[in-house]
Amino acid sequence: MNAVTLSSNKPSVNDAVNDLKQQCGDFEPKMLLFFASSRYEPEALAGAMKDAFGDLPVFGCTTAGEIGNGSMLKESIVAMALGDRIVEDLKVGIVRDLSDPDAIRSVFSDFESYYGKPVAELDFTEYVGVILIDGLSGAEERTMDRIGDLTNVLFVGGSAGDDLGFRATYVFADGEAYTNAAVLALLKPATEFDIIKTQSFAAMDTKLIPTKVNEEAREVLEFNGKPAATAYAEALGVSPEDLPAHFMQHPVGLLAGDDIFVRSPQQVAGESVIFYCSVKEGIDLSLLQSTDIVADTRAAVEEKLQNLGGISALINFNCILRTLDLEAGGLSAAYGSLFSDFPAIGFSTYGEEYIGHINQTATMLVFR
Amino acid sequence: MAGQIKHMIDAIIRQRSNGNQVLANTTRTKLIIKGFHPDKYTAASEDDPARIAELKEIAKDMGVTL
Repeated sequence: MNAVTLSSNKPSVNDAVNDLKQQCGDFEPKMLLFFASSRYEPEALAGAMKDAFGDLPVFGCTTAGEIGNGSMLKESIVAMALGDRIVEDLKVGIVRDLSDPDAIRSVFSDFESYYGKPVAELDFTEYVGVILIDGLSGAEERTMDRIGDLTNVLFVGGSAGDDLGFRATYVFADGEAYTNAAVLALLKPATEFDIIKTQSFAAMDTKLIPTKVNEEAREVLEFNGKPAATAYAEALGVSPEDLPAHFMQHPVGLLAGDDIFVRSPQQVAGESVIFYCSVKEGIDLSLLQSTDIVADTRAAVEEKLQNLGGISALINFNCILRTLDLEAGGLSAAYGSLFSDFPAIGFSTYGEEYIGHINQTATMLVFR
Repeated sequence: MAGQIKHMIDAIIRQRSNGNQVLANTTRTKLIIKGFHPDKYTAASEDDPARIAELKEIAKDMGVTL
C-alpha cells in the first residue's frame, strides 16, 4: 500500500482525529498531509494530530472546503498518508513570519543541512516542494518569487482558507497552528511525480495593459491609460456597473507561451479594480473567456494518467472560485468524481501556487 | 545603445537553465511573472536605465552573474 486517504466530518476535534487514526489502521506512513475546515479549533487540532500520529511529519492547513473520497466536502478533515514507496525522504520547514525577508533563506538552510547539498543545486527531477501558506497574508507573490529565486525545484500548493469567513487562516506543522506563516515541505519522492496546472479559460484577442498599479495592494488603477474599471468594462462591452458580474467568467491572464497564469479580479473600488493577486505594471494581460472546468480537468488528469502510466496519489489545490463556479452550475459531484479512481485529497484554496501565485486554477501534485 | 535588456535576460535564462529546456521555460515564466517578458525585448530595445537596474537586482536575487 502506497497511499491511504482519510476523512472525517465528526464535529469535535478529538472524535475527528481519532476517526482518522482508526482509518489509518496499521499503515505506517512516511508523512501525513491534512486539510481541515476552519470549524475545528486550530490549536486543538494541531495538537491532536501530533498526539495521534506521533513523531511522523504531519502538516496541513485550514480550507474553504475539502476534496476527498471522490467528493467535494465541507466542514470535514481530509488527510493523505504516504508510504515509503511514494516518499523516500522529506523535510518540513516553517516560515513563521512571512514579512521576514530572510525567513525563506533560513528554512532553505535547514533543507540544505538535511539533504547535504545546496538547494540551488538540487535536481528538479528528483525533488519537489509543497507549500501551504496563510491565505489572508497577501504574501504569496513575494514568497513564491523568493522560492523561485533560490531553487529550480518546483513548489506546488495552495493558500489556506477559512470557509469564506475571511477572518484567519492557519497552517499546521509540528503540532502547532500558525498564521502569517507558511509550511514548506521538500520531498524526495521514491517514484515518478509530476505537476498538473489546469485553468478553464481561453485567451481572447483583447489585451489589457496595466499602466498604473499599486502592486502591494493588488490594485490596478489604470488599464491602457484609462481608469481601470472603465477600460475593463469597455473591453467586455458591458457597463462599469455590470462589470463585477462578469469577473468570474472573464478574468485576465498572463501568457507564458501557451500557458495562462490567471489573475482574478475581486472587486471594483472607485475606478480601480482590486485583484486576488498582484499585477505588474506594463505587462500584457489577455482578457480570458471561461471554458468547461470538469471537461478541462478531466482531460488534464487523464493526460497525466497516460503519461505516468498510473496514479498512486494525487493532491489537489483547487481555487475556491472554481469551487463556487462548480457549485453554481451543479457540477460539484461531477468534479469530485474525477478523483475517485485513485487516492486523492485536496482543498478549496484562497490562491494557488506554482512558479508564482495564481487564481482560478487547480494545481496538483501527482505520484505514479 | 540598445539591446542590453535582451542580453541580460538571455544570460539569466542561460545560466539558470544550464542548457535544460524545461528549466529554460521555467526561468522564462519566472521572468514573465517578475514583469520581464523575454519576447518583448530585442537587440533593438532601448536601454532603459531603470529597467536595467531592476533586472540587475533580479539577477542578483537569482544568483546569476551578469
